[in-house]
Amino acid sequence: MTVGLLLLCACLALGTSLVLGYRRPRVWLTWTVAGAVLGLVAALRVLLGGDPWEWQSGFLLGGEAVHLRLDGISAVFLLLVAVGGGTGAVYSHEYWSDRRNPSSAPRGRAWWSALLLCMGLVLTASNGLHFLIAWELFAICGYFLITLDRERSGVRAAGWLYLAASHAGTMGLFAFFTLWASLTGSWDLCPMRTHPELAPLFWLALFGFGVKAGFFPLHIWLPSAHANAPSHVSAIMSGVAIKMGLYGIVRFSGWLPIPPAAGWVVLGLGATSALLGIAFAFAQNDFKRLLAYCSVENIGIIMIGVGVALLAVTHGDAPWGRLALAGALLHVWNHGAFKSLLFFGAGSVLHATGTREMSRLGGLVRNMPWTAGLFALGAMAVAGLPPLNGFVSEWLIYLGLFEVVTGKGTTAWIALPAAIMLAMAGALALASFAKAGALIFLGAARTEPATQAHECGYWMRGPMLALACVCVVMGLAPIIFWPALACAVSSWCPAWAAGTPPAPLATLGSAQLTLALVVLAAATALWWKSAANGLRRGLTWDCGYAAPTARMQYTSASFADIAVGWFRWALQPERKAHRPHGDFPAKAIRLERTPEMVLEHILTPVGDLIMRASATVRRLQQGRLQFYILYVLAALVGIGLLVLVGRTP
Amino acid sequence: MSGTLNLVIGLAMGLNLIALGSSRLPMLIRAMSVQGVLLGVMPLLMESERLDWRIVLVALATMAGKGVLIPGLLRRAMRAANIEREIEPFIGFVPSLLLGALGTITAVALARALPLLPEHAGTLLVPGSLAAILTGFILLIGRTKAISQVCGYLILENGIYLFGLVLIHSTPLLVESGILLDVTVGVFIIGIIVDRIQRAFDSLDTRKLTTLRE
Amino acid sequence: MTLILHLILRLALWLLLAPLLPGIINKVKAWVAGRRGPPVLQLYYDLAKLWKKSVVLSQLASPGFVIGPAVGWVALVGAALLMPLGPAGSALSFRGDVLLLIYLLALARFCTAWAAMETGSAFEGMGAAREVSYAVLAEAAIIAAVLSLIVHTGSVSLITMLAPSPGAGAALLAAGLFTVLLAENCRVPFDDPNTHLELTMIHEAMVLDHSGPPLAVILHGASVKLLLFAVLLVQAVLPIGEMTPPAAAGALAAGVLLVTISVGLVESLLARLAFRRVPLLLTTAFLLCVFALLVAWKGDAT
Repeated sequence: MTVGLLLLCACLALGTSLVLGYRRPRVWLTWTVAGAVLGLVAALRVLLGGDPWEWQSGFLLGGEAVHLRLDGISAVFLLLVAVGGGTGAVYSHEYWSDRRNPSSAPRGRAWWSALLLCMGLVLTASNGLHFLIAWELFAICGYFLITLDRERSGVRAAGWLYLAASHAGTMGLFAFFTLWASLTGSWDLCPMRTHPELAPLFWLALFGFGVKAGFFPLHIWLPSAHANAPSHVSAIMSGVAIKMGLYGIVRFSGWLPIPPAAGWVVLGLGATSALLGIAFAFAQNDFKRLLAYCSVENIGIIMIGVGVALLAVTHGDAPWGRLALAGALLHVWNHGAFKSLLFFGAGSVLHATGTREMSRLGGLVRNMPWTAGLFALGAMAVAGLPPLNGFVSEWLIYLGLFEVVTGKGTTAWIALPAAIMLAMAGALALASFAKAGALIFLGAARTEPATQAHECGYWMRGPMLALACVCVVMGLAPIIFWPALACAVSSWCPAWAAGTPPAPLATLGSAQLTLALVVLAAATALWWKSAANGLRRGLTWDCGYAAPTARMQYTSASFADIAVGWFRWALQPERKAHRPHGDFPAKAIRLERTPEMVLEHILTPVGDLIMRASATVRRLQQGRLQFYILYVLAALVGIGLLVLVGRTP
Repeated sequence: MSGTLNLVIGLAMGLNLIALGSSRLPMLIRAMSVQGVLLGVMPLLMESERLDWRIVLVALATMAGKGVLIPGLLRRAMRAANIEREIEPFIGFVPSLLLGALGTITAVALARALPLLPEHAGTLLVPGSLAAILTGFILLIGRTKAISQVCGYLILENGIYLFGLVLIHSTPLLVESGILLDVTVGVFIIGIIVDRIQRAFDSLDTRKLTTLRE
Repeated sequence: MTLILHLILRLALWLLLAPLLPGIINKVKAWVAGRRGPPVLQLYYDLAKLWKKSVVLSQLASPGFVIGPAVGWVALVGAALLMPLGPAGSALSFRGDVLLLIYLLALARFCTAWAAMETGSAFEGMGAAREVSYAVLAEAAIIAAVLSLIVHTGSVSLITMLAPSPGAGAALLAAGLFTVLLAENCRVPFDDPNTHLELTMIHEAMVLDHSGPPLAVILHGASVKLLLFAVLLVQAVLPIGEMTPPAAAGALAAGVLLVTISVGLVESLLARLAFRRVPLLLTTAFLLCVFALLVAWKGDAT
């Protein structure tokens, strides 16, 4: 089958699931997964075949001929949509089932299909007008998915914030596409590297798509939306939907002429976003918020790769750009895989215990061994630890940065701090996920619901297992993904089309494979040896204290206290402490909360200021007819004066 | 020749950072005094080919003044006024250390952009002086006790002295000795003031001086 | 065949020599204090004894409590195998292997912290929190040191990066890396390996609950890590690659011995820092590495 036919079938399958699946979950699941698989095959055909697919309609839609295109870059993202959409659909079959959520589950299914369809349209649309329409539909589908559980006020607030932020971004995109159309004379989107007058448009695209991608400081909507949405929605929003913003940035930075400062700005934003995003994550007490902030970090890492590639383009297509761009695109996949896995894990915990507070959980590994193991694997992958996939992409991006440094140009002045910040972000990611995994799954259960937790069913475990396999395979055999990446990189910058990998991916892969095998062997051997020597169970050694309780364990805030102190200038944590006094102390309290700094300390005050300024204007609103007639008269006189003044030369 | 000189200036820059990062007064005073001795050695290094008795004299005076006399006075004031050894920072140690490092790097980068004589372009004299001046300012702004502020002031003066060395050929070292004299007198006065503040407020915390604003 | 033999020899060298270092440090400390001290081979005896002992598991611990130390040990030994050994070269060398080394150390850290949290003890949580938090600054220092070597040599693989003399910034780099060595290996002034007060521990607090073979593995891994950092420090500072093989081997051995003795002397002469001062010292180490980087940059530009 050709790519076009595959895409048409995928589209039809998703359409069918949308129409027929409202009342019939199994039918919906079958058709959605079928659509995802077809999309996956189409993306793979483009990536491995290397030829982009294009189609132009004979008819007009909204005054423009429909122009669809699937090249290397859009195929990378389409593959992600297919994997994330398919696994999420299977997961939601149990997680958000008709039995548990009779009112919202049918809606959720419909919006899910619509979301996948719209993301596919965004990725293939090659006409500015249609791109905008698809983009807007995609944003709205996201809104309805986030607010599935709209009885809760937190969910509604998060939804509104998402919608408002999303539209602020879309405003930038409206400006971007209309300016594009007026400068080039056509809505058609195609490579425009040789038109220097288009260069300033890059900044509009960076803002418009950046809001969706959620890098610092445009991430304000992201933590609350991802934390409050149902977990399968969080998974697709965090793993896939924010990548649409990145798709826009990668796509149009490949087509537009690049302003000289672009690489510096994108690299700087990426490094800031990586470090601050993960610092915020480490400070969170709510594990889904932690995962959401971690997305800000990973977007930052991807942006570092893109920034290096942009620097390379402005410095005569230097070869290190290819390395970093490949790393960035690989990280797009990797992040999609492990972040979906982690959100699914978080969903299982939420499903089993009903709380998102890490300090209310603990000890779940005994009741939920599968979830715990898979979450630990995802945590190691997201912390960039070998031998898993997160390390491979970060390694490529690091190598790109190092090559910039060895070049010793002025560009090294941004690459050096970026490399150091990336390293610190890596160490903080490790700390964050050691904290998250350990507080949720290890130790003793801190509250009653945590003792009663139950393992999730097969429909939820299956997608998690599949994603974990993806993480492992991409870590152990990165070389098999190289042809696909090479295709995408060459469609971004044709000068980088050479076939061999720019880095010893095969050697790295074999080292990782050896490591994985030795780790397995050593773990088995040590367990066997310990068992052979004799295992006894005893009380935890708490310095000889014989009656330890679960509440004595380290909590989320205490674990993060040291590092949060270093980042206090950025995090602005709020503390409420009431120390115990006297010989028989009464109640003592210590509360810690890390608010969304940009939102609560910058945007909200500015918003209040604007509201207050507007309130003075509201005084004009008197409610009396006479005044309105007066205003009409004043306006007429004003216009008349304007005309008079304007006419005199 | 310039290699040794640069090494000495590099050491002086390192002492700047030690002064910024040290949490105890004696350490701060010691860093300052070692820096004074290093500064005293510098004119000898620069003019080693044609040593003049005046240069030797001034170098010795600098070493004695900055390295022995002033620190000795400060230590005595510290003992006399019963000042606690712990420094209470207004800007924390790690931020001031990072600021100082950033300032040093900027100074090195900035000095390249300045139109310097070719014989000075290769040395670290100008960046070293800028870095010391900046360190002095950070100490003056970021420490609360009068005595640590005196140290900041002296490091600032060291920076000015370093800058004066650039002009060693054209200005007679008399100017420099004048400055040195001024500073010594200044430290005397500050020592007396410190004593007075201590008696009046029972503390050397300069934040308490805000009560005098009216 | 020779390749496998080579690998086995190298592995044996690392595994067998590593436990010697803590013994030397303890001997130096005893000598300074005027005591006889434990024998140099004490850790070998301890390891042999622990290996035969039975294991007491906390009631809360899952299999991760035993798997963690095993994975951590493999990660540390893997990192050691990536490290070139003077004239003997390296077991596996490729572009960017230095990153694999750094991240293998991170893997070991994750596993130790994970195993520590298994027990639900507040002390172990405290130790894990300290370990992962201070590592943020240590990691920044290490990557700055690596960047300075990269700038100096223009290469991204360990074997060429560590070969030549590091030029003018050697002293700065040595001081920075030595401080990182002390911090990462939990020596005085960051942590006291002999302390008996759980509140003041970092690394020791994390392994309070381990016993038997898992504890042996942890202790052995820690000694491998110490040797790894010592070898890294010596090779980064000395021009090992420019010497004849016997001289290089001698210099490497002497350098490692010198580093070990210095650790012992530091431990005898300094007191442990207050915890709020630890970030300051680590920041200093980071700045030393950054200045080494700038010196390398400036030195090569002129």
